[in-house]
Amino acid sequence: MKNTDRYKKNLIVSTGKNKTYASESVKSIIYSTDPRDFGQVKKSIPCQDACPAHTNIPGYIRCIHEKRFGRAYELNRLANILPGVLGRICSRPCELYCRHGEPDLGKPVSICSLKRSAADFKSPMHRILEGLYSPSGKKVAVIGAGPAGLGAAHELSVLGHKAVIYEAFEKPGGMLMYGIPDFRLPRNVLMLEIENILRLGVELKTGVKVGTDVSLDSLLSDYDAVVIATGCTMPNRLGAPGEDLEHVYSGVRFMEQVNNGETPYVGKNVMVIGDGFTAMDCARSAVRLGAAEVKVNIRKTEEYMPIDDQEKHEVKFEKIRFYSLVDTKRIIGEKGKVTGIEFLRTKLEYSPNPPYRNAVPIENSEFILPADSVIVAIGQQPFPGEISGKIEQNGARILTRESGFSTSITGLFATGDCASGASNVITAIANGRKCAVDVDEFLIGRKRKIHVVRLESVDNTDRDRAYDFIKRTPMNTLDFDQRVSQRSNEVEKGYNEEQAAQESKRCYLCSLKYEIDTTACIYCSACIDVAPRDCIKMIQDVSMNPDGSFGHYTETRNWNNVSAIAIDNERCIRCGQCYEVCPMDCISVTKTERIELNIEE
Amino acid sequence: MPKNDHYVIIGNGPAGNLAADTLRDSDPDARITIVSNESMTYYYRHKLTEFIKGKAREEDLTVRPYSVYKDKNIRLRLGQQVDKIDPNKKIIYLKHMETVSYTKLIIATGASPRALPSVSNFSKCLNVLSTYSDALAQIPMINKNKTFLVLGGDIISFKFIRMLKDMGKEVTTLLYSEAFWPFSLEADMAQQVKKSLSDKGVTVISDDHIKSVKKSGEAFDIVTEKGLNQSFDSVYSFLGMIPNIRFILGSGIDTDRGILVDDHLKTNFDDVYAAGDCAQIYNPDMKSYWLSIGWNNAKIQGTLAAQNLLGAHKVINPAPQKILEVEGLKINTSWWESF
Amino acid sequence: MSDIDIVVEICGSAGEGTISAGEILSRFMSEEGYDIMSFDSYPAEIRGFGKCVAHSRISRTRVLTPGKYSDVLIALNDSHSISQLPVLKEQGVLIYDNKPPKYHDEDKSIAGWLEPGMIPYGIPLNELAIKAAGNARGRNMVALGAFAALFGISQDAFIQSVKRRYGKKKQVVIDNNVDSFVEGFNWTRDNVRKIDFHLFDSSPSDVKRDQLIINGNEAVARGALAAGLHLYAGYPITPATKIMEILSKELPKKGGVFLQTEDEISSIGHVMGAGFAGKRAMTGTSGPGFCLMSEFTGLSVMAEVPAVIVNSQRGGPSTGLPTKHEQSDLNIALFGGSGDSPRVVIAPTSVDQCYQAAVLALYIAEKYQTLVILLIDFFLSNSIKNLDPPPPPDPRYLNANIAPGKDELKDYKRYQITENGISPRTIPGTPGGMFFSTGLEHDERGKPVYDTKTHTLMTEKRFRKHREILKEIPEPRITGWEGQGDIGVVSWGSSAGAAEEAVILACEKGLKVGSFSSMVLSPFPANALVRFCDRFKTILVPEMNYSGQFANMIAPIVTRPVMRLNMVTGLPMASEDILKKIKEIK
Repeated sequence: MKNTDRYKKNLIVSTGKNKTYASESVKSIIYSTDPRDFGQVKKSIPCQDACPAHTNIPGYIRCIHEKRFGRAYELNRLANILPGVLGRICSRPCELYCRHGEPDLGKPVSICSLKRSAADFKSPMHRILEGLYSPSGKKVAVIGAGPAGLGAAHELSVLGHKAVIYEAFEKPGGMLMYGIPDFRLPRNVLMLEIENILRLGVELKTGVKVGTDVSLDSLLSDYDAVVIATGCTMPNRLGAPGEDLEHVYSGVRFMEQVNNGETPYVGKNVMVIGDGFTAMDCARSAVRLGAAEVKVNIRKTEEYMPIDDQEKHEVKFEKIRFYSLVDTKRIIGEKGKVTGIEFLRTKLEYSPNPPYRNAVPIENSEFILPADSVIVAIGQQPFPGEISGKIEQNGARILTRESGFSTSITGLFATGDCASGASNVITAIANGRKCAVDVDEFLIGRKRKIHVVRLESVDNTDRDRAYDFIKRTPMNTLDFDQRVSQRSNEVEKGYNEEQAAQESKRCYLCSLKYEIDTTACIYCSACIDVAPRDCIKMIQDVSMNPDGSFGHYTETRNWNNVSAIAIDNERCIRCGQCYEVCPMDCISVTKTERIELNIEE
Repeated sequence: MPKNDHYVIIGNGPAGNLAADTLRDSDPDARITIVSNESMTYYYRHKLTEFIKGKAREEDLTVRPYSVYKDKNIRLRLGQQVDKIDPNKKIIYLKHMETVSYTKLIIATGASPRALPSVSNFSKCLNVLSTYSDALAQIPMINKNKTFLVLGGDIISFKFIRMLKDMGKEVTTLLYSEAFWPFSLEADMAQQVKKSLSDKGVTVISDDHIKSVKKSGEAFDIVTEKGLNQSFDSVYSFLGMIPNIRFILGSGIDTDRGILVDDHLKTNFDDVYAAGDCAQIYNPDMKSYWLSIGWNNAKIQGTLAAQNLLGAHKVINPAPQKILEVEGLKINTSWWESF
Repeated sequence: MSDIDIVVEICGSAGEGTISAGEILSRFMSEEGYDIMSFDSYPAEIRGFGKCVAHSRISRTRVLTPGKYSDVLIALNDSHSISQLPVLKEQGVLIYDNKPPKYHDEDKSIAGWLEPGMIPYGIPLNELAIKAAGNARGRNMVALGAFAALFGISQDAFIQSVKRRYGKKKQVVIDNNVDSFVEGFNWTRDNVRKIDFHLFDSSPSDVKRDQLIINGNEAVARGALAAGLHLYAGYPITPATKIMEILSKELPKKGGVFLQTEDEISSIGHVMGAGFAGKRAMTGTSGPGFCLMSEFTGLSVMAEVPAVIVNSQRGGPSTGLPTKHEQSDLNIALFGGSGDSPRVVIAPTSVDQCYQAAVLALYIAEKYQTLVILLIDFFLSNSIKNLDPPPPPDPRYLNANIAPGKDELKDYKRYQITENGISPRTIPGTPGGMFFSTGLEHDERGKPVYDTKTHTLMTEKRFRKHREILKEIPEPRITGWEGQGDIGVVSWGSSAGAAEEAVILACEKGLKVGSFSSMVLSPFPANALVRFCDRFKTILVPEMNYSGQFANMIAPIVTRPVMRLNMVTGLPMASEDILKKIKEIK
């Protein structure tokens, strides 16, 4: 680093209402509950805000940079108990918001793949950290061993409650086990992380179907609380004629068969309908089952598919073709077996609310393409089963109380996709965990954890400007031959240590907050001259958002109107150029982290 | 029309030039800018093989010299690439970090050689020939080298192979089934092609795939899936063309394989039109979308896009007798008739 | 062996290292055995964001002008460089930053202005500089790296040259510069497809390590030092300040006196005082300062006190154009001041002549006890040339005072009327050598006398010195067509290089053209000029002033029609302009 020889400075740290002057001798750490600090963290660290589990992304990436892989893994586990799993199959909502991916700044950091690197490179006998509470004597039943159920059970155990999971299938994991193919998620990785949950004393009862083998009522009476986390297992239907022909599969059932080791008939010519991850899993599995030609038929265009570019590339690499702007009119068969699909062409049309593009079929544009099998993967919904009618519902979903997880029945909670509708794994895990906190409050009668913002002044920007020009590291993948020769071969090989180190440098470390002490600033504008973008502003006025974050900056170019030079932390890419160039050392760097504290300590 | 109109045309081929002429004819005062990533003014691309052979000079390629642009008061931005477009702000962003604002935009970027995902691992070893700059850079190498491998099957590859044979080179071609473009070859047609190439002294390999290409010294070692292992001086790939639309993705302008336009060549933005090889149009007679390929189509579309942009309401005629089907897309191939 | 002759321009904003990049390149090319001539321009304002251009011509053969048009433009700053595009040749090469941190507004990017035929190489200068050294300061070195990679320059040789240049700086400065260079070199080598045809010799045979790379001001200062300068008094003024700057450091080391005075009048006063006391003294200024000194110039002539004034001309009148080139002070140099005041005017035509001219000026001033004006100009002051280190001056130039003999001291006449006009001079304090000295007309002993006879004799004596001086000055430089021809180009000062080059080019085209230039303009070698002019039908006088000051001076001497090429573009005379005029006359 170029700025190690700088003076150590007295930093001014905002605690909200007052300013505390921290001297050099005392390391300045402040825990703040000021809403402005929460607002600042929310806006400044967009990836963390976008993550449903609020994973401390800059924190763990920094640890990878420092080769502290175990710490990086544990930082992940604080928010998400399956880092190794999510590091492979997360839908990466964070990367869409990564500041590195903003216009003209390149591509987002490979947050997800780095998560996997943390899991890959932690030491094999790595020590798990859990902040365990004393046993409460309470028992909670969790229905479903999918991500939401596992998340809930884990958090309940940490909080001192006895959790018992009821799982209908033979193996735990839910969609992770039966939905996602093993070439994307090796089962040993999944089982290892599930084991880590079970060792806290979680009891797992597999092959037990609530409603058939045991009734919900008996659970409600046997346990102090019950959490439903049954997910979305009912495939959506196309609603087109021919859907029940032989060799027409739903995506969910098709993957279930594949993941059970079966080899459903696909033939040579496979038509997949749907544009999500499940559709891709089906198409790619079909390739591994020997299909010669696989087409993924989508109603809109590639651009609007809800999957990321990496996945698109892998799909195309496996010689699967996207067939866009088509809508299925009917599935055609002969002698009960599928022979083809009649499509309609579609065109994109504007839909105003919310602004979106819709695919609209074009009249009289019917045409037929042949198919040996058809896989319909157009989403799932919850399977209501036994509870239907007993509990308030919103369509097939279980209705939960606003801002919580409790249902219309006291002591019965619902979380995950069965309450929220089909979402993604990380949302389910986050919701499972949040639900457990709700259950805890129900069982104990008070809140035991709070969120605070930890502010620590640092005297180092931790980065080189040159890091900003490192290109995103592409994932290492298997050759096509290796992919099809053994269908469980994991396609993505993960980064090697060097690649992980390189990729970790790319993170801007948005958790570092840059501030100009306007009482020391001499308005030389040297920082503005070196700024890589419009991140340092001469401002006349600044408004505050209701959540406490800075709102609109009223900028000015007229020196007479300048009331301050301010760093816009939403534009700042933490390149450190201003910090380096400031002749007055009036730019401070503060590490900000949103953390959970025990309220009773 | 107010004088402060700024018509920007991306692409300096037939569609772009005809569009510019049409705009200039009806609006003598407007600012017109053509942005082109080529280093040469409007030229005949199909004469490049003649140029490489030395049978055609630079002047023979030129359709329109620079002076004509100056006379017509058309600002020609050569060698400049569009990085992205913001159709809401009406700004195009050039790759060399310059913004240009427009009031109306015509996209006529044409198409460029396709890189199949299956060859992406060794794409660095593959040459493509598509532009004047490519030709200029490759002439010394083509003259020097003796043995050529041509991966392909698209119709440009046949033209290129013929050029190589005329130059007395040893040519091997690996016919890629995925690459027959713009139309899929039926088995008997494929046989015909094979025979005709063999008769010219070309070694033809079919039903095989490239496994790896490695540079060793000056030459390239080729291994195919069926075990062919041979070294060539240079390797060319002609795997069809794709519309140049990468810079549009994410802008809000609808794209599929090409830029989606209605039968007036208008995109989903009122001020943005597309014409030529990059435009994808639905045709009710064919019940399909189609991409046009070629010179005359581009000229017709360029003119029409400009007319519609100026307020006409003309509908494009797809000239169906010249259209062929590939990958579910109909393709008009009028330009290639001469082949 | 390449017969390369290319002009490279580096254009940037003040503070971007434009000029130093030009200097590094020139130095390296000179070491590689190329002949170089550079001419930098920079803003008049001392601080700010003005346009800087480092312009270098690099050639295998001897270069006489920096060249009007450039072959390569290296743009460190887009908006400034756009205004430099018109001098880029049609097939010129442009090296520019294609990845600046922020977008340029429309038409503010140089790449947007390229015309067909120009060859652009976009290099991410800013980004590579940051990669190499953590900040963007090294963009100039990255650009040089790109240049080196494109034009076949050896990376190692260049790095060695940079290290020698920065030898005494901190290691980190050297490292950052070298790293930036290497980053630019490697990136360009790996990512850029070369499509132009310029190529240097990567391993030249005649490497020259000990060459001087200096501008005219430095040459004047070095010449003066070599000629035993003892006192320099001056007041800073563009473009002469550099002379002061160098002498302020070097003169005290040699036991001399350096003075920055309150104004130019004081400067020349100090010089006169030192001259009177027998020391070699000099001042340097530009047009506006020279005006202030005029009054003293007469005293130097009248009191026969040696004095040397360097006048580096700039655009005028008045404060005029401080950083622009012009040759419009010839009249004031020749005729400024009151009375019949014969003075010596030496106008070197090139950087190497600046050195000799300074030696000659101090010698003549001392020997002939008179005023010598060394007339250079903005272009000479700033144009950088590589040259072999000049040998030390002939000892006879170093001690030239003609002192009175013992007999003469018995009845010492300070202003004795002699055949050659030189009266033996005593240094104050010489026993028996006391005398009156005054600006009034005086008799041989220096006593003020205003009678007809004395004034006539004394004026004649002072003018007789010029006859003598004529015998000592260097021969005029005559090149080109040797027989009877069509056009004779007669030029002076820094325009002479362009004139000679134009004549060479014209002769190559088969025209019968010759060139004449004299370093000494007063006394002027009129006979040589007449002989020259007799060979040609028409005389052409190109000069960088509006009124044709030199043409006016020679027109009465020659018997041929005198055509004029007068330009006040603020730029140095270009051979292209003269060649064009020659063709017009033809």
